[in-house]
Amino acid sequence: MAKKDKSRQKKFDTRIDFTPMVDMNMLLITFFMLCTTMLKSQTLDLILPTNDDVNKEDETMIKQSDAITFIIDGQVAKDNLGNEESKDGIIYYYTAQPDLENYTLDEIKFGDSKEAIRGMLQDRNKELLKQVNQFKKEWKEGRINDSIYNEKVKAARKAQADDINAHRPIVSIKPTANASYADVVRLLDEMQISQIATFQIETLSKEDSTLYEHKVGYPVPSASK
Amino acid sequence: MGKVKIKKHSTHIDMTAMSDVTVLLLTFFMLTSTFLQKEPVQVITPPSVSTEVVPSEKLVQVLVGPDGKVYMNLTGARDSSVLSSENFRLEVLHRAYNLYREKNPSAPKLTVAEETEFTKLNTFGVPMKDLAHWLDQPMEKRDEELKTGGIPIAMSIKDGQPNEFQIWLRAIKEVMQERGLGKDLTNGRGVAIKAGQYSPYHLVQVVMDNLQTEKLNKFTLMTSLKSEEE
Repeated sequence: MAKKDKSRQKKFDTRIDFTPMVDMNMLLITFFMLCTTMLKSQTLDLILPTNDDVNKEDETMIKQSDAITFIIDGQVAKDNLGNEESKDGIIYYYTAQPDLENYTLDEIKFGDSKEAIRGMLQDRNKELLKQVNQFKKEWKEGRINDSIYNEKVKAARKAQADDINAHRPIVSIKPTANASYADVVRLLDEMQISQIATFQIETLSKEDSTLYEHKVGYPVPSASK
Repeated sequence: MGKVKIKKHSTHIDMTAMSDVTVLLLTFFMLTSTFLQKEPVQVITPPSVSTEVVPSEKLVQVLVGPDGKVYMNLTGARDSSVLSSENFRLEVLHRAYNLYREKNPSAPKLTVAEETEFTKLNTFGVPMKDLAHWLDQPMEKRDEELKTGGIPIAMSIKDGQPNEFQIWLRAIKEVMQERGLGKDLTNGRGVAIKAGQYSPYHLVQVVMDNLQTEKLNKFTLMTSLKSEEE
């Protein structure tokens, strides 16, 4: 009888309470969720011309009627921290040469309509956009894949840029010192959306400054240090 | 008389399944996470339709604060046998500081300890003359001083001498070219400018002018994604 007593084993419950484990995991998850950057930021490629002198013969001549110039302006205001901040971007534009007789310089807004930036650019770039839309359609229907689509668009843009007789808009973007960075990027975006192959960022020329001054009534603001 | 029997339920819930799920989630977050980098100034990049992502290696990031202070951030190649971030920073520091000392022989030499400190840093941006002193400080003080620092970037018109930002750029260019990575720097994916969307454009323009002077005409602007309805 005594033997039997000895051999009796205590039965343990094999279940472990997982609640504290879950608590801890949740804490860790919260930590990682708050500390990570899931979204990587994107980039916009930009190519500036070289500072080196270019031979006269290497310079590309463009048709005057193709040229569009945007002057980006803004008002510098102070935010509540006292930092300077520019707001209310205003964009002026003229086409072809600066007209110093009538001082043509019009305000233009972002948007799709014919009078707005995108409408105007797309209207001027119809031929290329038609081709691109065709490629896009093929791509959406699954007939061509991503890389072929990109290559085709690139080729079409290049063909247009090389063809001197083609009707293609050539855009100059000229921000004044007060322009906000966001407006410049937004305008660069419009170039991408409207498939403008040739555009450049420049500083205001003398003629531009004259037009600007005539329009707003004060000289072009310069970067004050 | 039939007695109504009340069934006794155990109040314990089996947490095993829950635990499984949380561990899975945890693993996911741990593997996918890249930690937010500590930056001397917080900027909100402008929205853009561009979908290209920032390269995660071989990148020189130029951070422009809202007050025009400029900082730099160097990342080496992912394959550390090619060029690890530490080696990249160390070599750039050597070159840039030597270039600086050629013009200013009175500047103190950097000690090995200071150089090692530099290689561990994500972001740097104090004038060269303060560099040795800045590296001697403990971490918290360094961050503090970074806020008032910034790499001198004003274009020097009079004597054609490179400013300190250009000295850094030159050093970076030389190091990368020597390692056969010159293409990675000049193909337009090697330099990224990060600036706040409400920063006045002329602050960014100064950086661009400097890059142009150093013949780095192709670069990228960091933006955040904006969806464009079609």
